[in-house]
Amino acid sequence: MARPSPAAANPPAGDRRPNRFAAGLTTVPRAVRHQHWAFKVGLVLFGVIVAVLILTPWIAPYDPDATDLANRLAHPSSAHWLGTDQLGRDELSRVMYGGRFSVTIAAITLVLSAVIGIVLGAVVARRRGILDEFVMRLVDLLIAFPEVVVALFLVAMFGTSYLVLIAALTVVGWTPFARMMRGQALEIYTKEYIEAAEAQGCSRSFVLFRHVLPNALGPIFAISWLRFGHKLIIVGSLSYLGLGVQPPASDWGSMLADAQPYMQRLPVLVLAPGLAIFLTALSVTLLGQGLGLAGRRPTREAAPDATAAPVTGTVTAPDVMEKATL
Amino acid sequence: MWRFIARRVVVLIATLLVVSVLAFLIPYVGTADPARTILQARVADKALDPATVDALRAELGLDQPLPVQYLDWLRHAVTGDFGFSFTSKAPVAQLIANAFSVSVTLALTALLLALVLALPLGIFAAMRAGREVDHGVTILTQVLVALPEYWVAPVSILVFALTLGWLPSAGWRGPAWVILPACVLALRPLAYFARVARASMVEVLNAPYMVAARARGLGTAGAISRHGLRNGMTPVMTLFSLWLASLIGGSVVVEVIFAVPGMGRLLYEAVVNRDIPLIQAGIVSIVFVVVVINTLTDLAYAMLNPAVTVSDGTA
Repeated sequence: MARPSPAAANPPAGDRRPNRFAAGLTTVPRAVRHQHWAFKVGLVLFGVIVAVLILTPWIAPYDPDATDLANRLAHPSSAHWLGTDQLGRDELSRVMYGGRFSVTIAAITLVLSAVIGIVLGAVVARRRGILDEFVMRLVDLLIAFPEVVVALFLVAMFGTSYLVLIAALTVVGWTPFARMMRGQALEIYTKEYIEAAEAQGCSRSFVLFRHVLPNALGPIFAISWLRFGHKLIIVGSLSYLGLGVQPPASDWGSMLADAQPYMQRLPVLVLAPGLAIFLTALSVTLLGQGLGLAGRRPTREAAPDATAAPVTGTVTAPDVMEKATL
Repeated sequence: MWRFIARRVVVLIATLLVVSVLAFLIPYVGTADPARTILQARVADKALDPATVDALRAELGLDQPLPVQYLDWLRHAVTGDFGFSFTSKAPVAQLIANAFSVSVTLALTALLLALVLALPLGIFAAMRAGREVDHGVTILTQVLVALPEYWVAPVSILVFALTLGWLPSAGWRGPAWVILPACVLALRPLAYFARVARASMVEVLNAPYMVAARARGLGTAGAISRHGLRNGMTPVMTLFSLWLASLIGGSVVVEVIFAVPGMGRLLYEAVVNRDIPLIQAGIVSIVFVVVVINTLTDLAYAMLNPAVTVSDGTA
């Protein structure tokens, strides 16, 4: 049983200094070489997908909305690599354009959730008291709450819109970030360098931005990739149900729903968009898992102590949920 | 302990009250006049007679102040009276009760299936931690987490129902209809169970009491089944109940695809049809299920603290 030394409890913070992220960008190739294999595979896959999605307007073979009724439900051929759908639209072009919506919404809600969660987590870790109690109860309640039900509730109130879609994903999405940030911050606030900074008269916000946030962001960065995959799948499921992307536009989820009546005749219409969601979600999951494993590896022996030690003491059900994601 | 329980019960009731206010407000947000909304849902005619609207408003008490209306609604809701569905005309409470039993059946089948498959995987991976088997299980769980169920479900219907003809494709008429949706629903929890089982078994296998058990002459299998499982399974059971809470109301997509008449599909169709009493009751009962299961889980976790089990139990 190793005692949790400060460095072991928060490995990436001690030696790699993620707060020098901008400086780190210049040494990206060297940094990547030392990462876990899962991270490398995920990074390459995700990079290719994002590049294709960005370049889609230039490299897509057809207009995704151009119908060709004489040539509907065509099998894959050299003209249409993935065939055509029930209105004769080129499936490959539609898969490429459809991804832009799913990935963008997932990214927007991820950033929103992360910012809200990190700010709330940092604030309640400092203030404690009744606010902390309230926020943590809310987290306990929401952390396993199905997003689809939140989305249905908001749609019942305000009708379908992109704002509702983003809100539905953020209402539940901030919770893991808040939990993680709070845990990290509680630990960092007990460190000597915080005491030193406060003794020198540094303001609360200076301590927060100069010491607490930079040291806490490493593990949160890893988990945010895993959340990205989760969001992508949820966006697709809401679009599948008609609560996400709205009719003239389409994304992978709505394409799956549209293709279902024709799947026996032309299975590729169901296979292609589904495979696209799966590969994108898998790439970010590998990325996050690789980052998480790399951060954890040197301290495998100390890990149980490090998670049990924090100031709070009690282990609740959401701890298990969090453990399951990494 | 009693203070802990009392606090949790207070939180539970407060949550339900907040959600009930939100659910009550559904017909009042967006539309200025609920009476008009209700009438429009009853009769497809767009042009409404103002006298009819006024009559209905008085009949339903919609001319009362909002808090009075809320307390009236809450008084009925507490006794299980959520009114009648706009679309099917049946009592909402009865629709919810039927859907609830379907969803519980589906969720429990899926989760038990996931558990039965995940435990051996997780334990095996933990015993071979850091080796090929362990990596294989890790990759498998990542693949399962990244699989969207609205893709697996149509593909499984295509393969097992339409092409092979082994199982029915959709509906809810007997045990055979449970298999496909349960298998699809089981995939993601399976990955989570396996990960948590692996993580907690890695901890348990290195624990001193396991060494002691081995030193007393128990074999690997004996030590794991007699001592390891008891201590390592608490986190898995916690995760099990969290997933149960989330699947009972949250398996909307799978229930819609397989035409399973459960809670998720009921709520989805209520929202699509703007069936307000059904939406209100559906939201409140799904939140009720989630909150009650979460609270019970927390209490059970506090009582079954593994540290306590270790000190007064085996070692």
